[in-house]
Amino acid sequence: MRVAIIQFLGTNCDFDCKYACDCMGIESEFVWHDEGELKNFDCVILPGGFSYGDYLRSGALAKFSSIMNAVKSFAKYGGYVLGICNGFQILTESGLLTGTLLKNTNLKFIHKDVYLKVENSVCGFAQDIEKKVLKMPIAHGEGNYFCSVDQLKYLEDNNMIVLRYSSKDGSVEDEFNLNGSLGNIAGICNEKGNVFGLMPHPERAVGDLGHDGEEIWKSLLK
Amino acid sequence: MKYIVIVKPKKAILDPQGQAIKKVAQNYFKKDIGDIRVGKYFEIETQESQEIVEDLAKKILSNDVIEDYEVIKP
Repeated sequence: MRVAIIQFLGTNCDFDCKYACDCMGIESEFVWHDEGELKNFDCVILPGGFSYGDYLRSGALAKFSSIMNAVKSFAKYGGYVLGICNGFQILTESGLLTGTLLKNTNLKFIHKDVYLKVENSVCGFAQDIEKKVLKMPIAHGEGNYFCSVDQLKYLEDNNMIVLRYSSKDGSVEDEFNLNGSLGNIAGICNEKGNVFGLMPHPERAVGDLGHDGEEIWKSLLK
Repeated sequence: MKYIVIVKPKKAILDPQGQAIKKVAQNYFKKDIGDIRVGKYFEIETQESQEIVEDLAKKILSNDVIEDYEVIKP
């Protein structure tokens, strides 16, 4: 297992992802955004941060980096792609995932541990942990997931919703939806389940920081 | 040639920034201000065709899931 951690201008969770990979015994390597290809990697991580200062819209400028063409073809041929926080925003802007992420409805940057219910989904990063409730931190100002009614139905019909904000015991209610996301959605995947985007930070719930995030990283080892 | 591009949230999209501004404005003027929605304004100086500017507005400046755009030639 060899993981590429992409560094855009303004990425700031790259070393956290490397820490998580190291904790889990996964080999990882940083890849700069102007590289044109991804060679000999099994998985690509788009880490969190503020690529291009979040100018225009979060992730809107990073999607034009040359590495994103390589990420798109990597995903097309079944390679595993994980987008965390700003990485999730880049994946939606690139069209690799459906919908978009709006400003949190309370307009605040929210940094807090949250509980997430793992749904039954086709996601390759969340197999064998369905129905579990994971505790991970969120840290974002624009994590309010939005898509059209038709797109939401498509996500539901095709089991592409992976994580929802919930209570400690997995109850998905409005009161646990801190950012206003449609259907409490915290993470979704594509049809094939090889591209996964989520707002919470699994890399900050690994090793000394917690263990629930490890469930996501473990899936890379399977 | 100069172009102006205006990008605004689609009607169905909740605009929390606009609502926050509206609330402050209503408190300030002590009356119902109506609806305020926040968008983006771009001034573009270019020798390229309007077609290119339309493409720029569509593919880079706006996100069609949540925004509409308008290209104006002043």
